[in-house]
Amino acid sequence: MTSPLRIWSLPWALRYLKHEVLALPGRTAALLFVLFLLLFPLFSQDPYLLRVLTLTALFALYAASWDLLSGYTGQVSLGHAFFFGLAGYASAILGRELGLPPALTIPSGALLATLAGVLVGLPSLRLRGPYLSLVTLAFPIIATGLIFLFPRFTGGELGLSGLPRLGQSRLEEYYLVVGIFLLSVLFLWKLAGSRVGLFFHAIREDEVAVRMVGVNTVRYKLLAFAVSAFFAGLSGGLHAHYLRVAGPDSLSLFNSIQPVIWSVFGGIATIYGPVAGTFLLFPFLEALRVAEELRMLAFALLILLVMRFLPQGVVRGVLERLEEECPRCKVKNAFTRKACRACGVPLHLEAREVKP
Amino acid sequence: MVRMAALVLGLVLGGGSLAQVLRIGVVGPMAFVQGEHTWYGATLAAEELNRAGGVLVGNQRYRIELVRVDTNEMTSVTDAATAVERAITAQRVDFLIGGFRSEAVLAMTEVAADYKKPFIITGAALDGILAGRVDRNYERFKYLFRVSPTKSSDLARTSLLLLGEVIQAVRRDLRIERPKVAILAERAAWADPLVETASRLIAAPPPQGYGAEVAGTWRPSATATDVTPELTAIQRAGAQVIFTVLSGPVGVPFGRDWGRLKIPAAAVGINVEAQQETWLKATDNLGAYVATLNTLAPAVAITPKTIPFITNFQARFKQFPIYTASGAYGALYILAEALNRAGTTAADAVVRALEATDYTGPAGRIVFDKTHDVTWGPGYTTGLGVQWVEGRMQAFWPRNWRVGDRVVSYAGVRPYQLPPWVVEAWRR
Repeated sequence: MTSPLRIWSLPWALRYLKHEVLALPGRTAALLFVLFLLLFPLFSQDPYLLRVLTLTALFALYAASWDLLSGYTGQVSLGHAFFFGLAGYASAILGRELGLPPALTIPSGALLATLAGVLVGLPSLRLRGPYLSLVTLAFPIIATGLIFLFPRFTGGELGLSGLPRLGQSRLEEYYLVVGIFLLSVLFLWKLAGSRVGLFFHAIREDEVAVRMVGVNTVRYKLLAFAVSAFFAGLSGGLHAHYLRVAGPDSLSLFNSIQPVIWSVFGGIATIYGPVAGTFLLFPFLEALRVAEELRMLAFALLILLVMRFLPQGVVRGVLERLEEECPRCKVKNAFTRKACRACGVPLHLEAREVKP
Repeated sequence: MVRMAALVLGLVLGGGSLAQVLRIGVVGPMAFVQGEHTWYGATLAAEELNRAGGVLVGNQRYRIELVRVDTNEMTSVTDAATAVERAITAQRVDFLIGGFRSEAVLAMTEVAADYKKPFIITGAALDGILAGRVDRNYERFKYLFRVSPTKSSDLARTSLLLLGEVIQAVRRDLRIERPKVAILAERAAWADPLVETASRLIAAPPPQGYGAEVAGTWRPSATATDVTPELTAIQRAGAQVIFTVLSGPVGVPFGRDWGRLKIPAAAVGINVEAQQETWLKATDNLGAYVATLNTLAPAVAITPKTIPFITNFQARFKQFPIYTASGAYGALYILAEALNRAGTTAADAVVRALEATDYTGPAGRIVFDKTHDVTWGPGYTTGLGVQWVEGRMQAFWPRNWRVGDRVVSYAGVRPYQLPPWVVEAWRR
């Protein structure tokens, strides 16, 4: 007789890997993706490729942060660049004025963005739908105005340059950003799957009903704003130090719209959807540099096609075809299985003609 | 044995042909006229240099190969910086020229500095791109140079000199001893110091100032589509001159409304829209008599190279060159001469040779100052004052410009003409 497996022991991990990860195409893809990111430098240390992947990881975190607020909680932010840009500027100014290293200024910038998230969230509590989106849209515009108002402090149109580097080489910067990205996305994913995430979902679907059962929706909405702003700020701070410039471009409308495009492309309210969306679209746009005139056109065409044929986003669209839910126990199964891996119920029941 | 011979032959041929090519990245927003003209200007220079046998470096002749780098910098600074890293690492360029949007140039030059690649800026004007970087952190930023335009504080100086020229014309032709000047500046940070300096200079007594009166300051949005309220207010304020500080699209509605309402005040200063050859078409011919600073004008020989450059450019590209074209054209020649003087392609030696540049190009004589910026002033690069008269762009400044004991005039520069309705309204 064998003794029960101890959790976190090696045999347990192997079994978990076999039965819970490799059994499902989605989870296998996620594992391969993480391995790819961690092992990529073993195959190539081309600085340009590392740069593209680093920026993609940065923006994927930014898109995931948007998804938590807008996809899960339904508070559609069209001014997410406010948090992204604000943290970049805060980190640059703190570094310049106090001489602090990026390891301190980037988290400080992200905390300031968190505070800004709560402040943006407060007036937004009375607004819903497109009205809320319009209010969020105003914040980066106000911030840009303030930047131009105090050029001596903010560098005006030119922005602030000469920020310290994140690492000594592109490789160091790559591992730092990828590490932060993986941990942050794991946190966001766990949060979205937790009880709190359930409330976020519920607020999006029917806020009045959630309030009816005694949940303080104000607190959860502000929490969504704060957490989302923190991670947007974190990516904004990393981005400023990676480019070594914190400028008004980080607050541009284009920068606010980008996470929306990536998230909708990948599939909203999933966290992994925006990550996949960014990792597909950002390198794709880079690859299109070979056809400079057609670059933006081809990019727009791809998005249109995906929205036409996979309106729920690429990831969901693909996963729905690769995985199947057991009609009895609701466990997910790979599309190749004939019977459910948990309860053994046949999965592909063909409709048989019933004779009277 | 055969394989060995093939290998040696391959090395000689392959290595030899590779060593004879200089790859130069031309960076800019290629979907916009500024980027497109950067590319055109560089192309013209590269063709001329290659036709003349290439660039002699040491005892080796190099052929120039241009690499077109679309930075998409108008939309995304991140994209611009990535484009430069791609050009350096994947497309293996040795030198870079171009750049237009100041914020993007800042990020792009950070990448160039990381790789120690000389970068000659040809389109961005803000002072802070070089000042505070090359002088404070020389070892990192010594690879950056600017040939055009003159830095924004020098552009401001030129525009104030143009204003002085028009104030003189008002005094002379309208016999108004103390003209009133209205300041019309777009609401942007870059315009603020210029508005402040202009206000001070207009009111100060000569010889330091113009001994005129400030009628007021109006600040429309850079993207305004109607400036009628500002213009009617300026008319009510009794101004004879409008000093414009406009870089955005507001320049076009300004020209249209000003000509349509026949505002009795002469317009002069900076109006980027009026620098383009499409100005009269864009304003339905109502923008006639508008004056602005510019880099080149038809039939004005700033140097002996100006007219041949404009003629060749127009023959090849069917357009009148803007400042990024003359900048990129000059930049390539400056680089070629520096390589020739350095006798090597090693970046540090080329930088030292670039610092010793004294080159006369189509837009003026280029000598770098201690921040590697183009020197402004008589005998160097000054820019032009141009005015739209008789359906074409005509230069009116510098004409008998006295600086110390020097008198600066360019061939083909005609006197400034006040708009006839201004003369009619104010002549006593």
